[in-house]
Amino acid sequence: MDEFSGRAAIVGLGYSKLERRSPRPLANFAREAAAAAIADAGLTVDDIDGLGTIPNIAAYGNTGDLEGIDIVTVPNMAQMLGRERGIRWHVQTPGLCPDTIMTAAAAVASGACTYALVWRAVNVPKGRYSDFSRARAYGDDQFRAPYGFTMPAAWQSVALRKYMHDHGSTREDMAAFVVQNRENTQLNPKAYWHGTPLTAQDYLDAPMLADPFCLYDCDIPVDGCVAVVLADAERARSLRNPPAYITGHAQTTWPTRGGFTDSEHMWEGGAAMGEKLWASAGLGPDDIDAAMLYDGFSIFLYVWLEALGFVGRGEAASYIASGATALDGELPLNTSGCSLGEGRLHGMAQIAEAVLQVTGRAGARQVEGVAHTIATVGAGTLASGGLIFSREPRA
Amino acid sequence: MSAGDASVSKPVPVPDEITAPFWEAANRGVLAIQHCGACERYIHPPAAICPHCQATDMRFREVSGRARVYTHTIVRDNVTQGFAPDEPYVIGIIELVEQERLVLVANVVGVKPEDVSVGMPLRVTFERLNDEIALPQFTPDGGD
Ligand SMILES: [Zn+2]
Repeated sequence: MDEFSGRAAIVGLGYSKLERRSPRPLANFAREAAAAAIADAGLTVDDIDGLGTIPNIAAYGNTGDLEGIDIVTVPNMAQMLGRERGIRWHVQTPGLCPDTIMTAAAAVASGACTYALVWRAVNVPKGRYSDFSRARAYGDDQFRAPYGFTMPAAWQSVALRKYMHDHGSTREDMAAFVVQNRENTQLNPKAYWHGTPLTAQDYLDAPMLADPFCLYDCDIPVDGCVAVVLADAERARSLRNPPAYITGHAQTTWPTRGGFTDSEHMWEGGAAMGEKLWASAGLGPDDIDAAMLYDGFSIFLYVWLEALGFVGRGEAASYIASGATALDGELPLNTSGCSLGEGRLHGMAQIAEAVLQVTGRAGARQVEGVAHTIATVGAGTLASGGLIFSREPRA
Repeated sequence: MSAGDASVSKPVPVPDEITAPFWEAANRGVLAIQHCGACERYIHPPAAICPHCQATDMRFREVSGRARVYTHTIVRDNVTQGFAPDEPYVIGIIELVEQERLVLVANVVGVKPEDVSVGMPLRVTFERLNDEIALPQFTPDGGD
């Protein structure tokens, strides 16, 4: 275990309402989530002296940088909170939310600030999702956009095809996961797909976007925001909620090399990140009581389950189909429905549910006796990150 | 629900300091892949420094153009400009015979999408976009 393990915690969590194509500006969602998180921690706005976010839109191909509509940056949040003079520390990290959360955790643990608010505000871009409408293709795009390889769904669908070919899994196997996930979603009133069940046949009959990926292999884009409040371990103990101590952390710079052409990079990068994650916490897969693994696309579940060592290579599909990852199974997985069921919150759904489960606050879907949870975000490659949360500060 | 605008052209690659030799060769009907003089490995997409051994001795070398389908997808609903009339179309992750996991993206053409399969032998062909750019594409290889 490293020296950082257990020194910071998430002490408050807040959601905005999750909608689609809402007429409300994104800033309203962000303010709603921030206020909820601060209240949940038992703090007031004036306690917040650190801010962190991801200041870019969460969709490849689309453009949009209108403040308060497409993005909600630190200056905007500081102003909405009336805290321009009170913020001692802030950060904006492009990419995915683990980078921001870890940076904020380091800030509160070091004393650079006392209570840090981290949020991720996402919107459904105008027009179609992943609308690559540029006439010229630069960088990695020059080797994929001219071929129409411009949708993240297509990038990941080739990974599922390779997995099915190499390991003999089927779309019926993936249906088992998607259906299980949607069942969990029915226990999560915040979730976008709450109240909308899904059968295996619905999955198998759904429109194909990029064969073998159908609509339900993709997460559900939403307008919304999730915010968390972080504090150092000592302050965390004195607040109203049980703290979710951050006992493990990992980031990765693993390259995609060509932008999701060779899907093996996801497993290799995920495994390299996993080694760091387990080492930082002094824990291993057997210690985890509930796992929130990134499911921006369905195939990522196979990546993370295998790369982190929960199962061996090629075993994820049959492991899920066996029921082991159900709410009452040996490894409850994505118990809130996460990205596929709750909404495309770019990793915050994973973080939030890992926090709720480890602090015993997951309501109807609470897993019994949770000591450690894991949240991973990303595809195993560049910008991916993972966190381990524990009920006690030292693992 | 395809929304790609057929009246506009598809995205055109913009060669840069690292990738220009690839596109210059393609424009001559040659598939040339970057090769590291130090570790003797092929690299794609091209890189400034070898990702395998960190050497800087990077050249481009003509390859056979023979390949196989590493994996692929059949796109049925894309929104990128210019692609709607092609749907469904196949995007192949193409593994060149010269090196394991040496892959590039191309469309698999000259075959019905549902007849494409992982492992299918392919050979390179070129699709001209304009005076300066010809796209390497792949088509089933009869094995002559
Ligand atoms: Zn080399």
